[in-house]
Amino acid sequence: MHGKAWDRRGAITAAGVVLAMPGTSLAVAPPTVQDVLDRMHGRTGAPWFTGGVDHIVTGSPDAPVAGIATVMMATFDALKAAVAHRLNFVITHEPTFWSHQDRTDQLQDDPLYRRKLTYIGDHGLTVFYFHDHWHGKKPIDGINQGMTHKMGWQRYTDTDNSRAFNLPATTLKGLVGQFREKLGDRTLRVIGDPALPVKRVIASWGNCSSFPGIPYLDMADVLIIGEAQDWDLIAYANDLAAAGRPKALVLLGHVLSEQWGMEYCADWLRDFVPEVPVRFLPITEPYWTPAAPVFEIGTKI
Amino acid sequence: MVESKPAPVRPASPFAPRHTGPITALQVIQLVLEKVGAGYRSSTIDHVSAGDPLTAVTGIAVTPIASLAALRRAAERGHNLVVTYDPGFWSTSDNLDGLEDNALFQMKRDLIRDRHLVVFNLHDHWRDRIPDGLVQGMAQALGWTMPAEGAVFDIAPTSLLTLARGLSIRIGDSTIRVVGDPRLAVSRVALAPGNAAQMPTIALLNGPADVVLAGYCREWEAVEYVQDMIAAGARKAMILLGEIASVSPGMKACAEWLKGVTDIPVTYVDTPPGYWS
Repeated sequence: MHGKAWDRRGAITAAGVVLAMPGTSLAVAPPTVQDVLDRMHGRTGAPWFTGGVDHIVTGSPDAPVAGIATVMMATFDALKAAVAHRLNFVITHEPTFWSHQDRTDQLQDDPLYRRKLTYIGDHGLTVFYFHDHWHGKKPIDGINQGMTHKMGWQRYTDTDNSRAFNLPATTLKGLVGQFREKLGDRTLRVIGDPALPVKRVIASWGNCSSFPGIPYLDMADVLIIGEAQDWDLIAYANDLAAAGRPKALVLLGHVLSEQWGMEYCADWLRDFVPEVPVRFLPITEPYWTPAAPVFEIGTKI
Repeated sequence: MVESKPAPVRPASPFAPRHTGPITALQVIQLVLEKVGAGYRSSTIDHVSAGDPLTAVTGIAVTPIASLAALRRAAERGHNLVVTYDPGFWSTSDNLDGLEDNALFQMKRDLIRDRHLVVFNLHDHWRDRIPDGLVQGMAQALGWTMPAEGAVFDIAPTSLLTLARGLSIRIGDSTIRVVGDPRLAVSRVALAPGNAAQMPTIALLNGPADVVLAGYCREWEAVEYVQDMIAAGARKAMILLGEIASVSPGMKACAEWLKGVTDIPVTYVDTPPGYWS
């Protein structure tokens, strides 16, 4: 730990020199995309593996990195924000091209695919899909760590299970209020009695199917997720309610349920990529409800 | 494309034994598959998901999803054949692995056994009808005229917000979710009830419709796609009604259709989506 802190200070000093004297011979060469990836490889606390979805979606490992944007999902708007901030390396937790595997073979003639790809190329962006390894971070899933911090729940984390939280006693309605307040969530949905007493919560940020969702619901008063299909875990929660069981399911929406995990990712990267700016760029909640219409998507390229 | 094959014709052999007993669930299911007008499928998730298909049918309950509430209401009515669009055991294929010791599973299983229920998942074949049984049911419920083909409807010009508010009131659900500019002018709507899968929904969004009205859609698939279309300047939108709300009118229509196919009593049994926000 001591050695790491020393390295960090030394590196930050070096970066300070660059900032103070731009363009001088003291300026260190910017890292390439591959340099950044190499540094990430050894720092998740788990072996780097192949076969998952993580990969360079588009761009080049040899591209010099001017700055890093971490985003929840590489939406077109997120890419525009990265360009506006002059951050040419985009690290995204969710896909760029609209499927989990980010496969593009079916999209070769898709006009939006061509347009987004051209935009990425024209602005010299490289996009890295950072899903599996960030969830696989040890000792705690990087998304979970960032969301726990965003909710202010660190001290309530169960000692045996980092997804479980033993909260001060509240009701389901009170818990839901915390999500509205801290995440600004306007389209969350809830199944369960608003008066349900709540102490123990499990959070499975992001997508959650019947497994592990059903066992999670058995272990807690409330299960917090991003999204599930209406005919799997949501149907189970509805059946629990019909059976009169004191349980609840909260659906935050996928983006809002995970995106501050990518704020933590920016903090994590800053430690070992001190030469260039690293910023978390939040994206907008995709939806609105008829009672509270808003329009936040930028329509200009 | 689904290959079309004529429904099998039962040979009227004078030597065949005449059926004299009460009609079984299996016979009703065979009748449904013969009459539904869907082509041959090499694979399907339509299946008997619970119960003994040789059970004599006392009545048919049609429902969007074989929820605990729907099974109870079917049993209360004395209807023991449950025809459902969505599965009763919380996965697309009613996979029971890991559920043997689950209390809720046991509750549903015991209800099905005690009341001699048979659950038939009618999903693919109801959608393979021409027109799609769910789309037609939804159009009827909304008072929209079916197009000659496909599922894109011309409606009286309105705004996205007005359309969404009307739908929210009609289905009694304030949690429906909308992507797009609330002021968007809307006159063509594509109906995509149920699960709006990635590539079919992308095709609908690239067609003439201003808005796609869907049930459920993964947030990292077409929900991202429509946001990106809008971010690239296209005037498009998407409304997510929720799976159950989007499927219910089509299964109500299925109940009406079944009344014309069999003399057995048929009832539509609702399952409310159950969300609050």
